[in-house]
Amino acid sequence: MERRDALRKTAMVAGSAALTPTLWSLLQSCKQQPRLEWGPVFLNEVQARFISTFVDTILPKTETPGALEVKVDIFMDKVFANLYDESAKANLVSEIEKFNAACIDRFGDDFAGLNDQDRAEMLNQEEKKSGKFNGQVWGTAVGRQEPVGFYRSLKSLTLWAYFSSEVIGKNILNYDPVPGDYLGCIPLSDVGNTWSL
Amino acid sequence: MPNFNIDADQQLTYDAIVIGSGISGGWAAKELCENGLKTLVLERGRIVEHVKDYPTMNLDPWDMEFRGALTPEDQLKHPVGTRAGFVGETNVHFYANDLENPYTEVKPFLWVRGHQMGGRSLLWGKQCYRWSDLDFEANLVDGHGVDWPIRYQDIEPWYEYVEKFAGISGEPLGLPQLPDSYFLPPMELNCVEKHVKQSIEKEFPGRNLIIGRVAHLTEPLNGRGKCQFRNRCDRGCPYGAYFSSNAVTLPAANATGNLTIRPYSIVQSMVYDHTKGKATGVRIIDAETNDDIVYSSRIIFCNASTLSTTQILLNSTSSRFENGLGNDSGELGHNLMDHTYRVGAMGKVEGFEDRYYQGRRPNGIYIPRYVNISPQTRSDKFLRGFGYQGGGGRTAWNDGANQEAFGAGFKDSLMKPGPWEFFITGFAECLPYHENQVSLDKDNPDKWGQPTLAIDCEFKENEKALNKQIREDAVEMLEKAGLKDVVGFDNEHEPGYGIHEMGTARMGRDPKTSVLNGTNQVHACKNVFVTDGACMTSSSCVNPSLTYMALTARAANHAVAELKRKNL
Repeated sequence: MERRDALRKTAMVAGSAALTPTLWSLLQSCKQQPRLEWGPVFLNEVQARFISTFVDTILPKTETPGALEVKVDIFMDKVFANLYDESAKANLVSEIEKFNAACIDRFGDDFAGLNDQDRAEMLNQEEKKSGKFNGQVWGTAVGRQEPVGFYRSLKSLTLWAYFSSEVIGKNILNYDPVPGDYLGCIPLSDVGNTWSL
Repeated sequence: MPNFNIDADQQLTYDAIVIGSGISGGWAAKELCENGLKTLVLERGRIVEHVKDYPTMNLDPWDMEFRGALTPEDQLKHPVGTRAGFVGETNVHFYANDLENPYTEVKPFLWVRGHQMGGRSLLWGKQCYRWSDLDFEANLVDGHGVDWPIRYQDIEPWYEYVEKFAGISGEPLGLPQLPDSYFLPPMELNCVEKHVKQSIEKEFPGRNLIIGRVAHLTEPLNGRGKCQFRNRCDRGCPYGAYFSSNAVTLPAANATGNLTIRPYSIVQSMVYDHTKGKATGVRIIDAETNDDIVYSSRIIFCNASTLSTTQILLNSTSSRFENGLGNDSGELGHNLMDHTYRVGAMGKVEGFEDRYYQGRRPNGIYIPRYVNISPQTRSDKFLRGFGYQGGGGRTAWNDGANQEAFGAGFKDSLMKPGPWEFFITGFAECLPYHENQVSLDKDNPDKWGQPTLAIDCEFKENEKALNKQIREDAVEMLEKAGLKDVVGFDNEHEPGYGIHEMGTARMGRDPKTSVLNGTNQVHACKNVFVTDGACMTSSSCVNPSLTYMALTARAANHAVAELKRKNL
């Protein structure tokens, strides 16, 4: 706590607008955050910590596993490394930096360093200003899809990575690889959770 | 497992050659082989054996490296497939490499291809509807295009013939504009679809909402298993429950002992013998060795898919046919059609929160054409008509990204099904315009040195007027059915998106204005038959594949009879 307050003060003294990424990484190196417990392929440690914190905030552990337990962050890093082209990669890095800079600007620490309440405030702000996905027909958006922005794209990716994981797909949702028949109208209570496939 | 005879090097002469092994080519092969003709099927791509060559058929998302998403390398190879929106890690091996198979879009046109044994019969939507005399008489009635040389009664027995073997599930309705097929039991509508059906049929007398009629078995047939409701059709079905050449017609052809199928065979042209007045064979390039080979036969069936068939005909030049085989009329390559697509409406259905469904039904609902089917339903805004496909279901976690929420409660709520949604999307008939055409592009040869196609096609005022009505009617129907948050949409797609390309070698009564006669024979070269989508004289608003099957079976049996009479 004290350490964080001190940092925040330092940041305020330094003037957040002038807090360049270079200076920020200097400050960060003084912090004693726990070591990242996984080895990212694409992300650097600061970016990886952001992604881990982000997915944990969107989908925390409850009675069911959280995003971190099903390695959503690790899968997303793999997606960035393999499915993003160079411009998408560059955009991702710059958006993470911008987001962290906004966190520092407002609360004096990057996203991973914030307490739960401050993280929620940052995300609520993004929710309000982000665009929405159009409805889809057969997997394609209807009408002209305007960009939804960094936050909602990343949230969407987080949900996909979580719900397409084996743990959630097989053990939490209803897994029925070979239904055999189609029943068009049954009590939801017979099923409970959604079908996973 | 059928092991196909692929050893075509031993024999260069056959009774019949079939170019292509997709929906219509498979039927041609089956009918010709079963009638005792030694038949060579030329396939541009690789062999795909039923079940054995369906590598992704049983994979769950987490079994795949990227859980179904396409790598950038594959996206680069499949710009057209990616544009179409259906290609992914699960089925990319059934889509042609677009980079190796370029074409020129004079105007935007989406051309999806499947270059392997079975072609796009592995990937198709399986919706099957008979055409009616409303369709076969349409050109004659309003004067667009030329008259079909056949009527419903000519094709009716062949619809029944192919339906009994292919297996079509659906519900009989007795509608004159959408004749009933020979049906296997229908699939079930879900709670909300039943509810919307009742509302629409009450609010709009004369309109019907029915379960889609589809080439899926709802009970076993000829050793094929029934649909297991996995909805993984486009990976290949291990049960053979949906109709594909690979699961249905080619094994039947093979069982006769008369079939040879030659993979990696790119058809360059057909060989025409001026003295005999007929085609004598087919020239191919072996895609692996670049060898040039000519195979001979008494008859040739062109089933390479609409545009590829026309490409081959245009490239088959001789002193008799300087502008392409059978092109005396100048209509070869012209009158290209597709259906308009992705225009309609969607909305939310309140209630039914305690209801759900089981199984992933590879089918939706259908609203048959209800405009311009009688004097009472005549529109003064457009010619012809449209039908809708659609469906209802509950949203799931994928709806979560839009919710302004995150955290513990949000996560737990996504484990449960969300609200019910329902959509309909129209398919409108496209008129046959002479200027919607393809031509050979000799300046842009492919990697085998063959001229590629330049496609110059667009939707015009009539199709735009149909789309406007589709959208308006869709919004009105869903609103009157009580749906909330109804949104109309029109993605204004270029032609090709419907993947129902038709025409360019049309059937007709007059050799001066058409390429094929009433039994799909090239007017001036009667031992060449065209029975894929190229033969279509108009486009109807209903899906065309069932009609290709029926026309092919009819033409193949006619060919056999004509051979026996020594007329070919």
